[in-house]
Amino acid sequence: MNPFRAAIAVARKDLVSEWRTREMVPALAQFVVLALLIGNFGFQIDSRNAPSIAPGILWLALVFAGLIAFGRTFAAEREQSSLEAMLMTPASPVAIFAGKAIAASVLLILCEVVLLPALSLFFGTPFSGDLVIAVLLATIGMASLGCLFAAIVARVRARELLLPLLTLPLWIPFIVAGGQAVQSAMGLPGSYDQAIGLLIDFDILFVVLTSLAARFVLDE
Amino acid sequence: MSMVVANGLTHRFGPELALDSVDLVLDTGEHMAVLGDNGAGKTTLLRVLATALRPTSGRLEIAGLDAFRERRRLRHYIGYVAHNPGLYPALSAAENLEFFCDLQDASRSRVAEVLETLGLTSVAHRRGNLLSRGMQQRLAIARAILHEPRLLIFDEPDASLDAEAAEVLGLVMKGRTAVIATHDHALANRLCPRTLVLRHGRSLGTATHLRVVR
Repeated sequence: MNPFRAAIAVARKDLVSEWRTREMVPALAQFVVLALLIGNFGFQIDSRNAPSIAPGILWLALVFAGLIAFGRTFAAEREQSSLEAMLMTPASPVAIFAGKAIAASVLLILCEVVLLPALSLFFGTPFSGDLVIAVLLATIGMASLGCLFAAIVARVRARELLLPLLTLPLWIPFIVAGGQAVQSAMGLPGSYDQAIGLLIDFDILFVVLTSLAARFVLDE
Repeated sequence: MSMVVANGLTHRFGPELALDSVDLVLDTGEHMAVLGDNGAGKTTLLRVLATALRPTSGRLEIAGLDAFRERRRLRHYIGYVAHNPGLYPALSAAENLEFFCDLQDASRSRVAEVLETLGLTSVAHRRGNLLSRGMQQRLAIARAILHEPRLLIFDEPDASLDAEAAEVLGLVMKGRTAVIATHDHALANRLCPRTLVLRHGRSLGTATHLRVVR
């Protein structure tokens, strides 16, 4: 059994389902734009303080959009009773988990396609490749952790409450390093390279750890 | 040769005893119905036999392999239809099966063949949420036979099926070992020469052709 074929099949299935139902991306895109709008009206934004405030608003919007996107990955499977059918195949649980995480990451990246230009528009901060790289690197690690906890809480009734409680503390390293990288990309003092190095280290660490844990979480 | 050998299968959900020391031997090609009231342990037994649930205690061998050590390997041999069809509503019937071909490592060319066997060719491109409950159940059966399993495990497959479906079930079970949980005694007698009766998780024994006395 080729695990790549299984992971790609799972990711493609989730993305095709989202494309046809359009349940998640339009709602998430609206949510991030509204979050930026509230941030824009809630703070006295000017050209001096925008690079300090905008990264905070960016990560708040991203974290809450991520919780919704990752929370749905396994909840929908449980509601449809389709997770067991998938786990009854010879495909490795790690491949199934990877496919779900890839699809959820793509959905969050689609929101970021709306979020990042909108951030520049509302806050007048620079839109650069460095900013995009920082956000994408954080998305990888956040997706792996978010999907793991989404799989754990999917069978629990209070999953909407439990998912943020479990996930947010472990997302803090990504928010700290990502926040530092985004601030540097927006022209504030701080080492961009050091922050990106940290994000890559966290990505490797959490992708490996969650892949190892996924086997035990999904395999029963 | 025995396809299924189970000794002392016991399963507890917390303090609740769902399955109480069930012994079972099923020969290759044999068809067996599992009967019992609601809560008798039929679904638990079937999930254990399908290796979807690890029993609290007991031993299970399928095709000569330890069912829980060789679980992943055995998934190639087992086709399982749960009580709930568990399909993807946004995918068409054919796409649902193609997806499972990828996970089962089966050729996608099986899809057309299996749809025809189950009488679903005309709805191959209809989305899962637009299929009737009976058609969804047929599609779940189609999914279970995609990889040509040796052992079929059906949990109340007749729940939403019409009279013609019994023929279909007979067709897909032909040449395979099969275990069916059902409340329909007539169907059980028609499809399965052997019957296991469960009550409160305990086996009341097996019989060939159950005589139902009301």
